[in-house]
Amino acid sequence: MRSLLNFLLRFKTLILFLLLEVVALAMISTSHNYHQTVFYGLSRNITGFVARRVERGTYYFRLRQVNEELVQENTMLRKRIEGLTSAPQEGVAAVHDTVSGVNYTYLSARVISNSVNKQKNFITLDRGSRQGVAVGMGVASPSGVVGVVVGVSGNYSVVMSLLNTDFRLSASIARNDYFGSLAWDGTNYRYARLSEIPHHVEVSEGDTIVTSGYSAIFPAGLMAGTLTGDQKRGGDFISLKVLLSVDFKKLTNVYVIGNLTHEERENLEKEVVK
Amino acid sequence: MNRIIRYTGAFVLLVVLQLIIFNNIEFSGYINPYVYLMFILILPVSIPSWILLLLSFLTGSVIDLFSGTMGVHAFATVLAGFVRPWVLSLNVTAEGAEGDMSPSAYRSSIRWFIVYTVSVVFVHHLALFFVEIFSLRHFFHTLLRVLLSTAVTSFFIVLFDFIRPHR
Repeated sequence: MRSLLNFLLRFKTLILFLLLEVVALAMISTSHNYHQTVFYGLSRNITGFVARRVERGTYYFRLRQVNEELVQENTMLRKRIEGLTSAPQEGVAAVHDTVSGVNYTYLSARVISNSVNKQKNFITLDRGSRQGVAVGMGVASPSGVVGVVVGVSGNYSVVMSLLNTDFRLSASIARNDYFGSLAWDGTNYRYARLSEIPHHVEVSEGDTIVTSGYSAIFPAGLMAGTLTGDQKRGGDFISLKVLLSVDFKKLTNVYVIGNLTHEERENLEKEVVK
Repeated sequence: MNRIIRYTGAFVLLVVLQLIIFNNIEFSGYINPYVYLMFILILPVSIPSWILLLLSFLTGSVIDLFSGTMGVHAFATVLAGFVRPWVLSLNVTAEGAEGDMSPSAYRSSIRWFIVYTVSVVFVHHLALFFVEIFSLRHFFHTLLRVLLSTAVTSFFIVLFDFIRPHR
């Protein structure tokens, strides 16, 4: 007993060191659902408050770039309206049903905290459950896909960024509709990889990569990036390097996308697959 | 007592600087300075190692809490706190730091302080970046991040050591 006590005393630093490291490792290994915990919601409200103050200060320096983005998007929307209103009306009149066609809602939000330098990057938005944000909603910027909401508190929400090695996006090549899985490999923040594309598919540099719409989080056809021409072959599939359309370092204004029929679809799928 | 207040002030200042300024510095994803580690470096030489370890854990956890990276910084900082006495004992020469004074370039020599800082920062960053990625898949890419970030973090710590009050 005495020698055991002596032993413990002699190695108390080493034992404490090992103990603390084990605690830290346990924290890391349980952090996967950390963003859904109450504790995180609480700390997010505090850090969100600080981050919002900081963001307000630095927002003015980015006004020029924000304006440009908005002008670009306006132009794009105008073109789309033009296309809708001047549709050829041969024989039958075009019916504009404004209720039944609506599947997705859009809520504008501001990025108040963001990173691109970790393996698991998260983004904080200034909208939360009080404004209608819920876990599982998609987030996009005017230039393309940004991520998925993984945690909400009253006035803030946390988004798992596309620049997170846990993130998978069902995406397809716009030209021929072949779909695969888009994921970030944790290195360069401008590029991601589209894998699981059959190797017989013809691809060329500059092809547009869009969301497939299979996941019900994002509507189909939302911009994700363009092919760079670099490809790797493994088995029956190829993986393609994709230049992301969103520059995550310049992220300011985003939309939170809600799917009105999400629940219905999920329930149906669950019922059938069971 | 006075010393505890001063160290508390240093702790708060370094954590705030880290969260507001240094967490936002990133050059093409390669350089991420973690200057908050300076708090562990400037604690008195004679501090009992178990207090040092507990303070390391506390510092790392606070950074983790505010950057949403549970446990990663705590792990790396505890390791840094564990090797610090060892690095000090290797380096304590006639010009090295002793007793209850805070290791600094001011009390010792700039060369000594740089070697001390770079050693501890390197261990910390090595653990941090590899635990964060949790694989050896991009080994050389990660190693490059470690080396570049170690250089930048050490630069800022040495710089701050020059402008902090020495009494």
